[in-house]
Amino acid sequence: MVLFKSSQRMKKLEYGKGSEPCAVLSSSLDETTAGIKQVLGDNDDLVIKSFKVFGQYEAAIFYFSNLVKQDSINHDILKPLMYVPDHLKDRNRPLSQLAELITKETLYHSQAQPEQSMEKVIEFILCGETVLIIDGMEEAIHIGTRNVEKRSISQPETEQVILGPREGFIENIQTNLALLRYRLPTPDFQVKTMKIGRLTQSTAAYCYLKGIADENVVQEVERRLSEIEIDAIMDVGYLEQFIEDNPFSPFPQIQSTERPDKTVANLAEGRVAIFVDGSPFALLVPVVFNQFYQTTEDYSSRFMMGSFVRMARMLALVFSLIFPALYVSFISFNPELLPTEFAIAVAGGRAGVPYPAVVEVLIIEVAMEVLREATVRLPKQVGGALSIVGVLVVGQAAVEAGLASPITVVAIALTTIGSFATPAYSAAFALRMLRFPIMILAGIFGLYGVVIGIIFIFNHMLSLKSFGVPYMAPVSPENYQGMKDVVFRAPLWLMPRRPAFLNSRNRRRLSQSNKRNGFDHE
Amino acid sequence: MENTRPITTYQAAAILISTIIGVGVLPLPLFAVQAGDTGAPLVTLLGMVLGAIGLFILTFLGIRHPEKTIITYSEDIIGKVLGRICSLFVILFFFVLTGLAAREFGEVVVTGVLQETPLEVTVIVMLLLACISCRNAINVFSYIHNFYLPMLVAPVLIVVALSLKNADPLYLRPIIGTNLPHMLFGTLTISALFQGSFIITMIIPFMKNPKKAIKASLFGISISGGLYLLLVIATVAVFGAEEIKQIFWPTLELARTTALPGNVLQRLDVIFLAVWVTAVFTTLFSSYYFTIYSIQQLLHLQDHKMLSCSIFPFVFISAMLPQNLIQMYEFIKFVGRVGLLITILYPGILLIIDFIKNRRRKENASQQT
Repeated sequence: MVLFKSSQRMKKLEYGKGSEPCAVLSSSLDETTAGIKQVLGDNDDLVIKSFKVFGQYEAAIFYFSNLVKQDSINHDILKPLMYVPDHLKDRNRPLSQLAELITKETLYHSQAQPEQSMEKVIEFILCGETVLIIDGMEEAIHIGTRNVEKRSISQPETEQVILGPREGFIENIQTNLALLRYRLPTPDFQVKTMKIGRLTQSTAAYCYLKGIADENVVQEVERRLSEIEIDAIMDVGYLEQFIEDNPFSPFPQIQSTERPDKTVANLAEGRVAIFVDGSPFALLVPVVFNQFYQTTEDYSSRFMMGSFVRMARMLALVFSLIFPALYVSFISFNPELLPTEFAIAVAGGRAGVPYPAVVEVLIIEVAMEVLREATVRLPKQVGGALSIVGVLVVGQAAVEAGLASPITVVAIALTTIGSFATPAYSAAFALRMLRFPIMILAGIFGLYGVVIGIIFIFNHMLSLKSFGVPYMAPVSPENYQGMKDVVFRAPLWLMPRRPAFLNSRNRRRLSQSNKRNGFDHE
Repeated sequence: MENTRPITTYQAAAILISTIIGVGVLPLPLFAVQAGDTGAPLVTLLGMVLGAIGLFILTFLGIRHPEKTIITYSEDIIGKVLGRICSLFVILFFFVLTGLAAREFGEVVVTGVLQETPLEVTVIVMLLLACISCRNAINVFSYIHNFYLPMLVAPVLIVVALSLKNADPLYLRPIIGTNLPHMLFGTLTISALFQGSFIITMIIPFMKNPKKAIKASLFGISISGGLYLLLVIATVAVFGAEEIKQIFWPTLELARTTALPGNVLQRLDVIFLAVWVTAVFTTLFSSYYFTIYSIQQLLHLQDHKMLSCSIFPFVFISAMLPQNLIQMYEFIKFVGRVGLLITILYPGILLIIDFIKNRRRKENASQQT
């Protein structure tokens, strides 16, 4: 793939001790073979196949047998090299022109390049390419024969939609970029790659739309990525932890997604997407908080439906944060707020419970967290059974045993369901964690404590930044255009501009001649 | 890359409104009625006008010196030594104001909601909240005010709207009141509630367009003043002047008498108090921020962050100085009236001197040519 030729930084490979390879290839085949063997020779899957190029020159190819496409080696490399092609039969084939002759006129392969450095040659072999070395020639030729097993494209597990595309990213970065390319056939779509990880040599890529994304953000992404020094990158989450603005905040400052359509939509708004080989997630920067309760469906369905669902989701978000705390403070501090009939019912339910409300709620909440974690880890077949056991049996039994009042169980159940309604797992998790301190504050100070806790959280959120963009934009700092896409989602034809907080150079997303543009004054 | 003038006109207005609306909301109708009986709305209006005069003096000064705050331009206008001494008084005043606001808040919470919690705890929690938030940069300061603005305005409007069904317009007559000199004196107390508007002097150097500060001030004072006026009218119309004199926090009482239609919640006063915490926070936040920011400017320090924690104990001590509720309110009224010297008279003198100096400089310039 031509995309990957621009590897910007190749970090030094860490070899085993005492096997420092010579920097430049020697012209002798034996010496080079010995050098490669010295570094890689212990591996039984390394194949060294000797043969004669055009029946004239001693040569050998090197590759790892389980990383390559064997067919391609046999037919596209060995066959034309061993059996002199017709158009070369009558020509002189001197050693000095051999490299050019082979890459340009012999091999049936688009990815064949000469290479002189020993270090690079070994790296190519490790990456699954085939390296051809000819006796007397000072260059090796490496051919892209890499073939790694990958799973097929399937529905994204973490971000399901009812209406909308069903594709999700997979582990292979090339496939992921291809999924973007086919949605964005424009020369403005830029992909930059680099290698990160001394051992894993993972290919990381960041993509953006030139002229739409803020150049400062792109540069910042490049800078933060290039500063990462680590041995192994297993997932894009590793990168996230290195490049986020405030690692001590419970709130995610980078969005990760499995969906190509979402990624493209974000690129078109002026964001930057970051991929890493081996991870089916893309990171999107910069983000604002309201993105975490939005889904692609909000935009693909009609605007009333999208707005309604979004409001329901916001309500769920608020529920998952403060509902247990409100319950605690109403019950233990201000029961006079509740309508009398309900207050009596609550008091009746709590009659046999020995603990104060806050302890009761905390016990059930902790049990709920344990149950939830258990359900995630268990195999699917068992998980269903466990959740039924957990919810029905434990809940029922706890109430009957006098451990909790039935209304507490209802409150906690609402909270838990509420936290499932948030589409972004990381954001839901932040609120899930923050629920506990607020509950404790409610147990100490009642409603006053809840408000203090919320003010504290909001102040923290207002002070956060993601790649220079205020986290609570467009609510504060205010932006009228942006407010059309926060609580509700205005019709697409009423939102002619890209979000202002992303500092896009090209603000308009609807063209001037749009039919419904009459609504846009300016 | 960082914008040095991030604050928009809208944000400036929001800062003014949320700074002005604060602890004072609760005793405001009492103050107004004490001064003017049924003339309470008129007193409030006069107080608002007086507050507006002070605010506009500051705004004009700020526009004449768009790069500086009152701490720095006072040195230019009346000389380094005198300017610094005056600045010291300004800082001291806002320092005391911060402490008093926290104390007043604590008193309300302890009396109204958490009877068994020690006063010190509520005061400390509130001050801590302000102290930690003050460690942010000025743009976050404006984001915070901007964000909370709807949460300050909405509950007041809701309570006023819901209480209207109990209102009796007869209570509002005579509108002019009875004792005119007494009313004018009370106006001073009311206008002291608008002292938060002093924050504009810190905002102008960070505004995108300092010229528009006038617009921001106009909006700030009219919206906050309008809310105050509504509140006083509603309280007087519901309870009548004589009854209000018996109540310590008439606004809270107003919230208590109103109920949401449909009996969703039985009472609103606790909810009102909970939301009112936000209003107190923004006011406290402003005066705290102003204090440490001014100290930073006076001493030419690099950063205001560490000041935020270091003055914390002193603010707390000043909050604990009044012995009890009655003494505290006497003290607040006293400080408020003295504060008028600082927030209106002092800037007024500065503006006049600045004006004369400028004129003389121009005359000199024209004579030379």
